[in-house]
Amino acid sequence: MDVVVCLKQVVDPELPAQEFAIDAGSRRQVRAGKALVISTYDENALEVALQLKDQGAATTVTALTIAPAAEAKDAIRLALAMGADKAVVVDEPRAPALLGVEKAALLAAALRRAGAFDLVLTGCESADWVERVVAPLLAEALEASCVTFVSRIEAGDGRVAARRLADDGVHTVEARLPAVISITSDESNRPRLPKIRDIMQAGKKPTETVPSAELTALPDALRDPGVDVREVTIPQRTTKCEFFEGEPADQAVALIQRLRAMKTI
Amino acid sequence: MEFELSEEHRMIQGMVREFASREILPRAALLDRTGEYPADIIHAAAVLGLMGMMVPEAYGGAGQDSISYVIAQEELARASAGVQAIVTVNNSLACDPILRWGSDDLKRRYLPALAGGRALGCYCLTEPAAGSDAMALTATARLDGDHWVLNGTKIFVTSGVEADICIVYARSGPDPGARGISAFVVEKAFPGIRVGKVEHKLGILCSSTAEIILDGCRVPRGNILGEPGQGGRIALATLDGGRLGIAAQAAGVARAALEDSTRYAKERRQFGHVIGEFEAIQWFLADMAVRLDAARLLIYRAAYLRDLGRPYTREVAMAKLFASETAMWAAHKAVQIHGGYGYVKEYNVERYFRDAKITEIYEGTSEIQRLVIARHVLKH
Repeated sequence: MDVVVCLKQVVDPELPAQEFAIDAGSRRQVRAGKALVISTYDENALEVALQLKDQGAATTVTALTIAPAAEAKDAIRLALAMGADKAVVVDEPRAPALLGVEKAALLAAALRRAGAFDLVLTGCESADWVERVVAPLLAEALEASCVTFVSRIEAGDGRVAARRLADDGVHTVEARLPAVISITSDESNRPRLPKIRDIMQAGKKPTETVPSAELTALPDALRDPGVDVREVTIPQRTTKCEFFEGEPADQAVALIQRLRAMKTI
Repeated sequence: MEFELSEEHRMIQGMVREFASREILPRAALLDRTGEYPADIIHAAAVLGLMGMMVPEAYGGAGQDSISYVIAQEELARASAGVQAIVTVNNSLACDPILRWGSDDLKRRYLPALAGGRALGCYCLTEPAAGSDAMALTATARLDGDHWVLNGTKIFVTSGVEADICIVYARSGPDPGARGISAFVVEKAFPGIRVGKVEHKLGILCSSTAEIILDGCRVPRGNILGEPGQGGRIALATLDGGRLGIAAQAAGVARAALEDSTRYAKERRQFGHVIGEFEAIQWFLADMAVRLDAARLLIYRAAYLRDLGRPYTREVAMAKLFASETAMWAAHKAVQIHGGYGYVKEYNVERYFRDAKITEIYEGTSEIQRLVIARHVLKH
């Protein structure tokens, strides 16, 4: 089974809040000069793929990313050090500004160009836009099965069983291959750390860079983002402090009444 | 001249930082309190390649340079100086002398186990009457057929309790001073070696410090490092490498002190302001940052020279001296910045203060480092 993992680079969500900024003109997050990392759930997706490889179910794991080629180096190198066999970078200078619909179209084109794939894994959402649309749209474009919010996968003959987190608990579903599955995190797919030896080997693994212009055209429906971002703002958080007077017992009663009135308890 | 780390160095730094943050930091305070040996952490470190970082891949190591090594040691010590002490001793004081002076047979027998976490190493040089004056050691080694027979008492042995493989220095010939000393690879499983008194220490509490007693210990003849009489030179050259690891440990403690103090200075409010707005605190933080950077640059320079195969005794003594005094100074200021909270165990700076002190003492006190540096200065 050939597994492809789609990786997106985002501004490190661990950076202090004051470093988060939005460019008013492009209505996108400011990336220049900020540390970039692989989006959180994408790393979980890579871990799931690598576990399938450890179990002998996956023959190759390919890391696929759409990014300005120069920006993608660190993410690709890390994915290869963690254990991916090869990487494909779709060089797209506009990538950081693209939304999910456009990303899904480009990913589909890149996957069609690459040829054989059985399973495509994505993070269930990106750490910056949190659109959650790439996996379903990608499955649609590739005419593949789709399962979302999956934490664990078991490979079978031409099928996979996926443990899916849902509002009412856990669903275990089967999907035929090829399939696109979006991955959420649980204790079983915490991204592994690369060993020093693998860090040194990573540079020797094959990485193919494809200019996005070379990708074949896709249906117009997928090329039109369908979404127009009008405004992006940073939520203003305000805090209010109330004091309750009196003895501790009275204060406790007043606090409970207040919390009930606020419908928090 | 370049001040940038290579891509590989940055990746190793990122990996070790993540490892330390996931596996060590959450348990550092508890390990300090219980003094428990962190066997699982050491095993995980070995899997990542951290226990034999400079051992070639052919012997099961990670085949890294000294720059990678000091980067990793700083990251580990930033989380726990105690855990890092175990790692650095295994790398610098056990693997390194076997790699540099061991026969092919010794390398094949011991390095894969030490680098792979299947065995732990320690270094037995100091004796009750031979500390800074290490070459005055009195343990003896006498050839008896196909074995050396070792007698004597070694003290202050880091990892002495848990170690499986000991690098032991003993007097094998009549020559006084360094020339009469030989170095041996001694397995704890050999007859006649045992752990004596275990020390109760001020800091680095999850790393054991013990007495090792050699009582007619029989060591196969081939388990000598280099030639008989080379031990003094091996001990001192090994300590140069060891000092790199301790300097990096000190930098890690100093960084921990600075980072925790910076965070506290931004949170703690007094007189209507966060204390980071007060100049008294700002000056502490500025001086900590300057000294930490200077220490790290001295460490990187020493590591760089070592990787080039050039002499670095003077440079590593400078790095170890400056970094360890920086760690002590920074930890002292960190406690002061935290005030009463710095004196209690709720915050980590109290641990940094206790951990920092050892860096001014072991693998050559600050006074010995000054002596080494002064000898080089006076030569010119």
